[in-house]
Amino acid sequence: MRQQTSLLSICVLLVGAVAGAQTHAEDSSASRSLASQSKVWPFLQSLCVDCHGDDASKGELSLPGLGDLSRGGDVQQWSLILDKLQSGEMPPEDESQPSEKHRNEAIDWIESQLRIQVGRDAEHARPITARRLTNVEYQNTMRDLLGIDLKLTEKLPNDPVKPYQFNNTAELMRLGPEQINRYLECARSAMASAIVDPQRPEVYKTRREWQPYGREKQLGLDEIGVWGNRRHSPAWGMGLKGFPKTGEFRIRVQASAIFPPGVDELPLRLIMGYGINVNSATQRVQPVGTVRLRNSPDNPRVIEFRGRIENFPPQPGRIKNGERGPDSMTITPQNLYDDGTLNDGRRDLAMPRAVINWMEFEAPVTEKWPPLHHTQILFDSSLRDEDPAEYVRQVIERFVSRAFRRPATPEEVARFVQIYELVLPELGSLEAAMRETLSFSLVSPQFLYHTDAAPAVALSRSDENTGKNGYELASKLSYFLWASMPDQQLMDLAAQGTLHDPSVIEQQVRRLLADPRSHDFVENFTTQWLSLNKQKTVPINSELFPRFLYYVSAGERRGTEVPYRPTIRDYMHDETVGFVAELIRRNASVLNLVDSDFVFVNQPLAVHYGIAGIQGDQLRPVPVQASDQLGGLLTHGSILIGNGTGSAPHPIYRAVWLREAILGDEVAPPPADVPALSDSAGESAESALTIGDLLRQHRQKESCNDCHAQLDPWGLPFEQYNAIGQYQPLVPQEGVRVSGFQKDTHRDLAGYQDYLRSISTVEVVARARLPHGPEVDGIRQLKNYLLEHRKQDIAENLIRRLLSYAIGRELSWRDRFAVEALVTHSNKHGNKLQDMIVLICQSETFRGSKD
Amino acid sequence: MTTKSWHLNRRDLLQGGGLGLALPLLNGMCHAERAVGAELPKRLFVSYFAYGAYMPGGKTGVPGGNQPHHDWSWWPCNEPGPLSFNQSAAPFEPLVESVSYLRGLDHKGGWKMGGHSSGDVFATGADMTEHEKTNNISIDQVAANRHGHQTRYPSLVLGTEGGTGSYGSSKTLSHRGPGRAIPSLHKPQEIFNRLFKPYAGKGVQQVRAGLKREASILDLMLDSSRSFQRQLGRGDQVKVSEYLESIRELEKRVERTSQWTHAQLPDIDTKGLNIEVSHKEPQEYIRCMYDLIYLAFQTDSTRYATLMLESEQSQGSELWNYATYVLGYKGATHDIAHKRPEDYSGKWDRWRAEQHAYFLKRLHETPEGDGNLLDRTLVLWGSAHPHASHSTKNYPLQLAGGNRLGFRHGQLHAFEGDKKVPLANLFVSMLNAIDVPVERFADSTGNLNQLMG
Repeated sequence: MRQQTSLLSICVLLVGAVAGAQTHAEDSSASRSLASQSKVWPFLQSLCVDCHGDDASKGELSLPGLGDLSRGGDVQQWSLILDKLQSGEMPPEDESQPSEKHRNEAIDWIESQLRIQVGRDAEHARPITARRLTNVEYQNTMRDLLGIDLKLTEKLPNDPVKPYQFNNTAELMRLGPEQINRYLECARSAMASAIVDPQRPEVYKTRREWQPYGREKQLGLDEIGVWGNRRHSPAWGMGLKGFPKTGEFRIRVQASAIFPPGVDELPLRLIMGYGINVNSATQRVQPVGTVRLRNSPDNPRVIEFRGRIENFPPQPGRIKNGERGPDSMTITPQNLYDDGTLNDGRRDLAMPRAVINWMEFEAPVTEKWPPLHHTQILFDSSLRDEDPAEYVRQVIERFVSRAFRRPATPEEVARFVQIYELVLPELGSLEAAMRETLSFSLVSPQFLYHTDAAPAVALSRSDENTGKNGYELASKLSYFLWASMPDQQLMDLAAQGTLHDPSVIEQQVRRLLADPRSHDFVENFTTQWLSLNKQKTVPINSELFPRFLYYVSAGERRGTEVPYRPTIRDYMHDETVGFVAELIRRNASVLNLVDSDFVFVNQPLAVHYGIAGIQGDQLRPVPVQASDQLGGLLTHGSILIGNGTGSAPHPIYRAVWLREAILGDEVAPPPADVPALSDSAGESAESALTIGDLLRQHRQKESCNDCHAQLDPWGLPFEQYNAIGQYQPLVPQEGVRVSGFQKDTHRDLAGYQDYLRSISTVEVVARARLPHGPEVDGIRQLKNYLLEHRKQDIAENLIRRLLSYAIGRELSWRDRFAVEALVTHSNKHGNKLQDMIVLICQSETFRGSKD
Repeated sequence: MTTKSWHLNRRDLLQGGGLGLALPLLNGMCHAERAVGAELPKRLFVSYFAYGAYMPGGKTGVPGGNQPHHDWSWWPCNEPGPLSFNQSAAPFEPLVESVSYLRGLDHKGGWKMGGHSSGDVFATGADMTEHEKTNNISIDQVAANRHGHQTRYPSLVLGTEGGTGSYGSSKTLSHRGPGRAIPSLHKPQEIFNRLFKPYAGKGVQQVRAGLKREASILDLMLDSSRSFQRQLGRGDQVKVSEYLESIRELEKRVERTSQWTHAQLPDIDTKGLNIEVSHKEPQEYIRCMYDLIYLAFQTDSTRYATLMLESEQSQGSELWNYATYVLGYKGATHDIAHKRPEDYSGKWDRWRAEQHAYFLKRLHETPEGDGNLLDRTLVLWGSAHPHASHSTKNYPLQLAGGNRLGFRHGQLHAFEGDKKVPLANLFVSMLNAIDVPVERFADSTGNLNQLMG
């Protein structure tokens, strides 16, 4: 046995050495000869060298110094040149243009040469694929591996973020000793929860009741209003003291709701952690869950919530006489009803109210002891007593095989058995020693890294014949579409060796996408692809937009945003993610990104956008007409706010967003030392010049004009959408934006709209002539142009983004033709989103092996 | 500013009456190890503030023509030469013999990073936008690599927001090497425990046994990780080597920790120190962070520290509101940088100066050998922006301490025009002064030994 394995590893070693001995084609000395010796030189010389020559090298491209493509020189740059020629972006409009024939000849030559280089290179270059799990992947993998949902990532350093790029790339996902240390801390705390001690723990229980009599600001003492309620009401929650530190808890609540006419649903949310009713906003809480109440007090309902205690932040006990008191927690129920009028002043009785009769907390839940997540690791078997050593070996083999997402090798198992034996004498019990041993398997590179390593044992029989690794593909699929480890079905298919079959891939992709776990894929992908997080920190000018956020109306924190509630910005984030998820679910065309006949909203969003008749906090597809000025991603609040200043729209941010996220261009960042446009436009509404004026001034400098001529026109059509993402074709004259607002008469929605109408008299200019395109006026015409003329770019961009996210690396010139093939194929079949994802998963680039 | 009773207590305890707390410390051990004639420790500390500083005279704060120096400019005076102190810099006046101001220095690597990102390279000088795609080793880690073994902790990396942050919005100043940021600690309680109560209440024997166990396990892990690595393609092997290095580093640490269990832990009285201070009390919180560094230096628990006082993207934290809490400014702290309101900008700088001066004074007032702690501690304090937060050149910089390491103070130095040199030149001199014999650091072209006497 021992000999066999070492022979195997020698084989693997040899293969590695051979692969390692080869070098990249780019490095070869042949690339030193210059572009001027290549066949397209006359073409480039006559048309391009004026700007991209030795003296002037705009865009940091100097053609004379470029390596000869036919000898593999500067391939990446040549690939870029090809893009510019194909798209017609270069030469610029105001320069002399080549004949169609000459352009095509140049394109053909570069393309054919590139193809040769890609072919040559593929034999040598193997892209780096090893990368650590992202924090989300780590969290989800631990959840699926251990069968308990523990929040662990708070202890890990945040993953890096780069705008419009995915953070799951090998380049960004790096490791240091601190991180491994934190992983070990996480693993130990997770194992402390996963493996329990044999004796059934004592159960902690507490209960509180509220009575209907007594009133406080018109609300009964068992009621919770939208604006909360006072002490002694359920809005102040139920305190816990002396609760256990780990384990599953159960909360039961008897609840109902009192509805005003026309309302029939109330979202009731429970949060747990610090008590939140002190005048401060630094308490830490976590949501437990949300239910929608539709029942009246005549018909109270008992609702059950479950969760893990470890995930909720306990409030440290007070220190008294040098002794720290016990930690406490508070469970606070919240009435999350929001019809967009919460800033209009307290009208408790006109709003729905939640009624809570009683609440119970119990932990740990011990219906079954030891719990399932324990027996899943320390399984029931007579072996434990009869042959403890074999039992330990089996426990380790089972666990490690799941943790490594492929069968563990005998060596690997032996190693962890060694660790087990090392720690057992000191830790005493099987449970304790196993916790420590398995914790170390969770800091192994086989667990922490995505790789394409294929130990021989991990290949099924048919894999061995084809050289294709089913387990690797199973992981690729599940981490792409679930951000987590493969489930049993994927592992079974991998074991059978059938996973590489295109029809099996298709069926699996559609299954994974239909599973709720795919939410994390859409969430991660969309957030990073569209750079969505920006919007959450844009400071909204509350004087210009007094109704946008839900503000505290009295007390020390007056005028600040109400804490511990989902905000309209959270809903906007969910809107964008939900919209993309809906497109995937419907297998809809990629063009819906630009325009769609539906939006994805709930009541607060509908009120914000001016859509009537939507109730409840749950987001859903709602049909819209052209006259709503909505549809597609371009008009999402998340996008418009994130690419604005909080006071005014920002055409440059919006242009960059459109070109990066939708059209797939790379827009160079502005040079340092230029004055920020937002400074002059956003800081002071009173003294601002118009942004249009600013841009005109800016473009007069030639150095600025080169970039801005390509940029500004894409942002100006967005101008009719204001800084909080509403359609606003009329704006106040500069200088009078914030004057004339009367708190008393303009406070409620109708009054506010009157006010806006009274001051908004100037029509916004949203006209621009697009580079290489027509003049468009407003978003509708911009969308039409995109849908008619830029279809191909939009589809290609999404395919590139999806592929890049899926394989965890940036695409390079080597992927050029593979992408082209995907684009062509997808185009033929209507560019439907779900089909696109299937296609990507079937591709060689994704699977990492040839057919 | 409200003053609470414990606030006074703490100050008193730490400065005067509490000197009992100033420890028989680790000194027992240090003295033993240093023996007769052994050198006193040489320390280095880098501290960073975000969003630039107020320089009403222009980008460098130098007013044109014959205008007098602005009273609220971050720069204490206008003319290079002996220092005089305006309103903003007044808190440093008592320390005039221990501080210098350096005008015109910056890291070229940060030029193209944009206003909200150049803070990433303040202590590293890495060229993140051009040749190096990632950040690189920071000055404190260069020193720690060389001499870190002489103290219980090689270095102390603190920040107010914690973690590593992201590319372009770092929340730490320290980096181990390319792409490997060292997460900063930001919770006083956690920092205190890690520094002074590392055994979490366990007995030394128990800790030692645990460490021994851990060392053996790490050895096994290293072994099996190596055979795993060999199964990978070449590129991936390189990639996974960072894992192996990390494990090796952890092994070393376990060994060090184990050795240090033979030295007594410094005995620190927590009563005076409010390590549960909330982020919402700016002065208390910032001073608590400074106090922890002071204690770490004073007990010789470490000799190298960094503190990111604010990150350039502090939206997610209370730091965003500090100007509001401290001055009642209506807006985010960051807005001061953009709007530069005359009435708040200077006061905000002054407040920050007061906190830093508090720290310098504490070092200065603590005797060590025939001088004081500050004399053997180099303290660099500054930001990666001057006046406008979108500019990334000509940092506001103050260098303090190190009088016994060869630095001469009391001057404003201007490195402008043809005198321009990379900030990294200063780093070379700083490292050399603490016995780290490097000739280059990042883009350095030499040293800045002219600051030395």
